[in-house]
Amino acid sequence: MSQFDIQRPVVELPDQDPDPVFSDDELVWTEEEKEQIEQYKAKYPEPDAAIMSVLWMAQEKFGFLPPEVIQLCADTLDMPFSKAYGVATFYTQYYKEEQGKFVLDVCTCFTCQFTGGYDILHYLEEQLDIHAGETTDDGMFTLQEVECLGCCGSAPMMQVTNGPYVHNLTKGKVDELLENLKKGELPRFTSVTLPQDEDEMGGNRRSDAETTDTYKTQPRSKTIK
Amino acid sequence: MEATNGSPTSKAGDWRSYERVLLPPVRDLHKLEVYKDEGGYESLRKVLNTKNIEPGDVTNAVKESGLRGRGGAGFSTGMKWSFMPEPDDRPRYLACNADESEPGTFKDRQLMEYNPHLMFEGILIAGYAMSIDACYVYVRGEYADWIKHMEKELEKLYEQNLVGDNILGTDFSMDIVIHKGAGAYICGEETSLLNSLEGKRGYPRYKPPFPAQVGAWSQPTTINNVETLACVPLVIEKGADWFANTGAEKHPGPVLYGISGHVNRPGVYEYPTGMLISDLIEEVCGGMRDGKKFKALVPGGSSTPPLRADQCDGVTMDAESLREAGSMMGTAGMLVLDEDTDMVSYLRRVTHFYSHESCGQCTPCREGTGWLENIVTRIDEGEGQMRDLDLLLDLCDQMEGRTICAFADAAAWPVQYTLKRFRDEFEAKCKASVHPVSSKTSSGIESAAPAT
Ligand SMILES: Cc1cc2nc3c(=O)[nH]c(=O)nc-3n(C[C@H](O)[C@H](O)[C@H](O)COP(=O)(O)O)c2cc1C
Ligand code: SF4
Ligand code: FES
Repeated sequence: MSQFDIQRPVVELPDQDPDPVFSDDELVWTEEEKEQIEQYKAKYPEPDAAIMSVLWMAQEKFGFLPPEVIQLCADTLDMPFSKAYGVATFYTQYYKEEQGKFVLDVCTCFTCQFTGGYDILHYLEEQLDIHAGETTDDGMFTLQEVECLGCCGSAPMMQVTNGPYVHNLTKGKVDELLENLKKGELPRFTSVTLPQDEDEMGGNRRSDAETTDTYKTQPRSKTIK
Repeated sequence: MEATNGSPTSKAGDWRSYERVLLPPVRDLHKLEVYKDEGGYESLRKVLNTKNIEPGDVTNAVKESGLRGRGGAGFSTGMKWSFMPEPDDRPRYLACNADESEPGTFKDRQLMEYNPHLMFEGILIAGYAMSIDACYVYVRGEYADWIKHMEKELEKLYEQNLVGDNILGTDFSMDIVIHKGAGAYICGEETSLLNSLEGKRGYPRYKPPFPAQVGAWSQPTTINNVETLACVPLVIEKGADWFANTGAEKHPGPVLYGISGHVNRPGVYEYPTGMLISDLIEEVCGGMRDGKKFKALVPGGSSTPPLRADQCDGVTMDAESLREAGSMMGTAGMLVLDEDTDMVSYLRRVTHFYSHESCGQCTPCREGTGWLENIVTRIDEGEGQMRDLDLLLDLCDQMEGRTICAFADAAAWPVQYTLKRFRDEFEAKCKASVHPVSSKTSSGIESAAPAT
């Protein structure tokens, strides 16, 4: 793109040919994992379709997907490295580089933009002393700004390491979350009660919900009008 | 229609006493045991066991019900099903689109959380209607918790012979597979979804050929949204007439409104289609937050053109009324904005979204979305020139209809309409032009020459 008044940082691509992080001894599947992979393959008419599941499994095992791990996944399914690499790099949830122990994905999109998503992001930047996109020095937290997570009614919200959602964020709730995460406690599944259920059933309908929350009047953003 | 004394009528009829059917008030309905106690899977049983209900009859019932897709485009579901070729020896697939990534949309997630079996039953009935061999439920990767919950329920379905071989002892067999995505908005586009499912990058495909002819693994395939499929058992249970007579005549049925933003009580609400926007904001959601004035509505996700408050007067939530008003129903994920909202800032974030999510196959989209963001950002930061406004519109013209999929159109619409409907806010942020603007050059290609 030619010169323009507004300069946005160029997104750096991951190193194309880094030194391997994992040794050949580490790059093996257990028997259980092999069995699981067979089950994935059986779900589709062609084995290539299992690549997304296998990449997910690899990410859970290794934490992230450096080229040698992608190579392992490709070999597992007998597909070319380039194809597996293409898939791994297409989707944002696959980590191509090492992340903090917890990845905080704060939504700043659309509804969250106007209801304090950026306030939460900036508060986290202050608390963790990093910018969005960076990892704390102790390797505990990676902070990211993400697009709509499909939870706009309980904005502002975030997701922790591709797992649980945290709704109706406030500074207090962020403090509590950070405390718990430092102790290694992930937030539990929260069921947000439908307003009509509140009126007609007096509360949440799921007896197996570990915690519940409600749709609330959303906060006013301090930074974005 | 009844006399209205001049006040607008809701096509949703007596919605205050509406009884929910997509999310009926039943404790633990998401569990198979409870769902069955409530009469669940009876519609499937009826369709499979009644001798004179042929697959084609189911498709016809869905056609007669007037059900239109709830995934965004609002296409007739029965019609879509009838595009599938006659069964032959090729496998046939159904894809349930649970990618739900359109900003402002969060209703499919609530359906999967509170009534997933309605979706599964709809999948099976649709499967019978189209002689499907397997359905892939493509769920966005972020919904990891919901995927776990649904997999548990799906397992029970296999155990109880409601999915798999010879369902309920009939000769109808069908598999359901939950496929976990990994974070890409574009995979909600139906052909991108198919590529992603096949284990490729999620690049949309050229159409034609349409998925009904060449779909997943090149076999006949139909793609439907979660909520669309969840409506199918209702059509069977309550009848096509009941469905057709619920809500707006040309866009009938129950619908989930996902309302967020500056209202007192946001959330997912089930009502018939054709609700007055004013009823939804004032009565259902308890009015505007802090008593502020209602300024703008994005009626169905970020791709649908925003409406000014005055354009919403008397408008109802259905395709026809919204089209007349100058927007679209989309996903019925409504963002309500109050008088303090800066629409330039709104558009800046929306253009950022599209530039981030473009899959990059088509030059007009890949480059265009980036330029849209750059220019809107420049205006938002007070560095824009008046002619940037024309530049934006020109850019939209260069993108629309010139790409493989509708993403580029979806990126251009919010720009065109936000600019058109809130132009004064954009002008106020622009620097006065250094050149006198003549009527000859204030629009069109000349004034769109890049500033040097
Ligand atoms: C860029 C783009 C994104 C889309 N995202 C979704 C989505 O997240 N969920 C969805 O159901 N449909 C989405 N759609 C619409 C689908 O392509 C398709 O029309 C829909 O799933 C069909 O189902 P329906 O007829 O039941 O609505 C998207 C379309 C486009 C062009
Ligand atoms: S229009 Fe955009 S998103 Fe769609 S195929 Fe082209 S580049 Fe990809
Ligand atoms: S806008 Fe943040 S979850 Fe949808």
